[in-house]
Amino acid sequence: MFVVDDDAAVRKAVLRLLRSAGIAAAGSSSPSEFLAQYDPNTPGCLVLDLEMPGFNGLQLQTALAEKGSSLPIIFLTGHGDVSKSVQAMKGGAFDFLTKPVNAKNLLPAIRAAIERDAVARVEQAKFSEIHARLDTLTPREREVLQHVVAGKMNKQIADDLGITQATVKMHRGRVMSKMKLQSVAELACWTERSGIRGTNSQDQ
Amino acid sequence: MSWITVVWSISVGVCLTLAAFYCAVWYKQRENWVHLLFSCSAFAAAAVAGFELAMMHAQTVGQYEALVRWIHLPTWVLTVSFVAFVRLYLRAGRRWLAWSIYGLRTSVLIVNFISPVSVNFRTITDIHHFSWGGEILSVPVGLPNPWGLISSFSLLLLLIFSVDATITVWRRGDRRRALLVGGSMIFGAILAWHVPLVIWGVIEIPFFLGFTYAAIVAAMGYELSNDMARAAHLAHELELSDERLNLAADSADLGLWEWDLSKDEIWVTPKHRVQLGFPVSGRITFEDLISRWHADDRDKVRQVLRNAIENGKDYDAEFRRVLADGSVRWIAARGRVFADKQGKPRRLLGISMDITARKEAELQAARQRHDLAHLARVNALGELSSSLAHELTHPITAILSNAQAAQRFLDADDVDLNEVREILNDIVTEDQRAGEVIHRLRRLLRKGEPQKHSDDIDLNEVIRDVLRLMRSDLINQNVTVDTDFAQNLPPVPGDRIQLQQVLLNLLLNACEALADCEPSERRLLIACKSETSTVQVSVTDRGRGIPGGKPEQVFARFFTTKKEGMGLGLSICRTIINAHQGEIWATNNSDHGATFHFTLPIVTSDALSGASSKVLDGSALTATDASAPRVAAPSLLLGPCPTGSGAEELGVSASERLARKEAVITD
Repeated sequence: MFVVDDDAAVRKAVLRLLRSAGIAAAGSSSPSEFLAQYDPNTPGCLVLDLEMPGFNGLQLQTALAEKGSSLPIIFLTGHGDVSKSVQAMKGGAFDFLTKPVNAKNLLPAIRAAIERDAVARVEQAKFSEIHARLDTLTPREREVLQHVVAGKMNKQIADDLGITQATVKMHRGRVMSKMKLQSVAELACWTERSGIRGTNSQDQ
Repeated sequence: MSWITVVWSISVGVCLTLAAFYCAVWYKQRENWVHLLFSCSAFAAAAVAGFELAMMHAQTVGQYEALVRWIHLPTWVLTVSFVAFVRLYLRAGRRWLAWSIYGLRTSVLIVNFISPVSVNFRTITDIHHFSWGGEILSVPVGLPNPWGLISSFSLLLLLIFSVDATITVWRRGDRRRALLVGGSMIFGAILAWHVPLVIWGVIEIPFFLGFTYAAIVAAMGYELSNDMARAAHLAHELELSDERLNLAADSADLGLWEWDLSKDEIWVTPKHRVQLGFPVSGRITFEDLISRWHADDRDKVRQVLRNAIENGKDYDAEFRRVLADGSVRWIAARGRVFADKQGKPRRLLGISMDITARKEAELQAARQRHDLAHLARVNALGELSSSLAHELTHPITAILSNAQAAQRFLDADDVDLNEVREILNDIVTEDQRAGEVIHRLRRLLRKGEPQKHSDDIDLNEVIRDVLRLMRSDLINQNVTVDTDFAQNLPPVPGDRIQLQQVLLNLLLNACEALADCEPSERRLLIACKSETSTVQVSVTDRGRGIPGGKPEQVFARFFTTKKEGMGLGLSICRTIINAHQGEIWATNNSDHGATFHFTLPIVTSDALSGASSKVLDGSALTATDASAPRVAAPSLLLGPCPTGSGAEELGVSASERLARKEAVITD
C-alpha cells in the first residue's frame, strides 16, 4: 500500500487513516521518490495525488504501465478536472476521487483495489505456472494439445497428424500429467488464456 | 512802529510757527530726524532775528554787549543744524567739511564766551544811532576782536560746503532741491558777509542775518512740505493699491495675512477676516488665528511655521480650516519670513488659498484609483481562483482524514490517546494553515480605505507571500520559480497589499508568457537586490518576449495581448510604483523572454511621504524644509525558497545565480 502526495500533511493524514483501518502503507513525497524504491512484487495499491510539481501523477501512471506493473492506482485530485480524469481512467486508473476525500469513499476503494490486486496476483501466479508447464511439452505433445483443445476425437487427431490412435493416446496422457490437470475442460480454459489456440482440420 | 520792526517780528513769528509745527511732526515720527533738525534751525533763526531786533533798538553799551555775546548761541545751533540738515536730507556735502564747520563754530562759541565782550568785539565804546528805513537804529562802535576771523573762516567753509553740496544734488538730477535749498544756503552764506563788514566799520547797516536765515528756513520748509504732500499722495495711492489688492485677493479667493512677530499681531485681508469669524477691527493674535484651524492640523502647521521662522525659510503647507459657519475647508498656505538687518525674524507674510475643490477632486481621483486597483486585484485573483481553492483543499483534506482516523481509533477497544492527541494537534495546525490562506486572500480582496501611512516592507517577504498564493497555479502550469533574494534587504516604505498586487500581476503575466513553452522551459526567476538608495526587484521569464520590441507600450492603459484582458494590470502597477516614488520598466532579454524590473526607494524623504500619501489618499501636509531620514530596520533572514526545489534541483549556488543575473542572462 503506497501513498504519493507532495503535501506532507495530507500524506500523513491519509497514512494515518489507513492505519486506523488496519492497512499498512508507506508514503512518498514525489513520484520520482516512489519509483526509486518501488518493488513490483509488493502487493497492494497506490493512492496518488494528481497535481504535483515537476513529475506529476499521470506521468507516474504512464511510467508504471511501461514497467508492466499492474498496481491499481486510486487518483486523488483537488480539481476534478474532466480531461485529466478521462486521461487517468483511460490509463487504467482504478478509481478517481476528489479532495477532500471521505474515508467512506476512500477505504472501500482501497479495499477493492487491494482485493483486485490480490486476485490478479493469484491469477498471475497460476498463469506463470501454466506457462512454465507448457514450456515442458515437446513439439509433438504441443501439436496434440492444440488438437485436443479444439475438441477433436483421438481418431481425428491420428488422421490429421498421420499417427496411430495409440500414439495419440500416449501423447495425450503425457500432456495431462505434465500440465497437472484433470479434465480437458480445464486444459482448454488455461491454454486459451495463455494464447494457445486449438487447431481445426479446416485450418490445415 | 517802522516796517523794520514789523518785518523782523513777522520773520520771528513765521520761524517760530514752523519750528513748533515740525517739532510736533517729529514727535509723531521720531525716526525722521530731519524734522527735528529743521525745527531746531527754525527756532534758532527766530532767536537770531529776535536778537537782531533787540540789538537795533539797544540803548546802552551794556545792553548791546550782552546781546552780541548771546546771539552766538542760536547762531551755533543754526549753523550746526543747517549743515546736519544738508547731510541728512539732501544726502550731500563732504563729511570732513561738515565736521570742520561743527568744530570751528564750537571754537567760535568757546572763544566768544572767553573773550571780554564777544568774539566780534574786544570792547564796545559807544553806540551809534542813525536813521535807516525811517527808523532810528543802533550800531556798535568799538574795537573788533581779531578772533572774529575764525568766525569769518567758518562762514567761508559754510559757503564752500553749500556750493559743494548744491553741485552734488544738481548733478544727481534733483535740480529743484539744489536750487531751492542749496541756492538759498549759498545766498545766505554770501549775505552773511555783511556781519564782518559792519563790525570792521566798513559799512553802516543793521545786522540782518536772522532775516537771511529766515529765507533759508522758508526754502527748507517749502521742501519739507513738498515731502509731506508727496507722503499724503503716497498714502492715497497706497489706499488705492490696497483696494486693488483686496479685490484681487477676494476674487481669487486668496487670503493674505501678515504676522508681526514682535508684537504677535496679525493682519488679515478684510474678507478673510470675516470668513474666519473675526470682528471687523481689533487685534488678532497667532493663537486666535490657530484656533480657526482644524484641531488635528494645528500642531503640524505650528511646526511648519516654527521651522520657517527658525530657519528663515519659506513655508508651504496644506491644512484644514474651520470657518465661522462650522464648515471645513482645505487650505494651501505659502509664505515667507522677513528678518530685520540683524537677521532677527520680524514679520511673516503669507497667503492662503482655498483648495477644497481641488482636494476633493484629488480625493475622488485617489478613491477611483483605489477602486480600480482593487478591481484589478480581484480580477487577478479570479485568474487564480481554482488554484486558490486547491490551496485550501490541502489542509481540509488533511483535517478530514485526520478526523476520520481519530474517530476510527476511538472506536477501537484499546484507545491510543497519544495518537489521538497527535491527530488533534495536526488538525489544529492544518486549520491554522487554511486560516492563513483565507487571511491572505481576504487581505488582497478587501477594498478597505486608502492607506494613509507607509509601513516598512520587506520585499522578500512580499514576494514569498505572493508565491505562496500562487503555488498551486504554478504547479498546475508546470512553472518552476527560481528565487534570488539578497540577504539583509533594507525595508522600503509602502503599502503591502499594493506591492503584492504588483508582484502578482508581474508573475501572472510571466506565467502567461510561458504558456506556449515546453514544460522544461517554463522557468521564472525572481531577483531582489538592494542598491545604494533603492531596492530592485526583477521578474524574468523565458517566454516569447514583448511583441514589437516596444517594452514601454505594455504600461499604456488598455494595452493587452490577452483575449480577455482589460489592459489595466501593468498601467495600475505603474501607478502604484510611481506612488511609491519608484520606477517600473520592462526589457526584452537578449535570448528569450522579457524581464520586468521595479525599484523602490529605501530612505523616505518628506517629499516622498507627502507625495505618496497624496496619491494614496489625497491628503497631505508637506513642508519644504525639515527632513528626517528613516532608520532602516534589520530585515528578516531568508527562509527556504517557498516553491522549493527550483534552484536546488539545478544545483546552482546563489552566487553563481547572482552573477548570471547581473549579466541579465537568466536560467
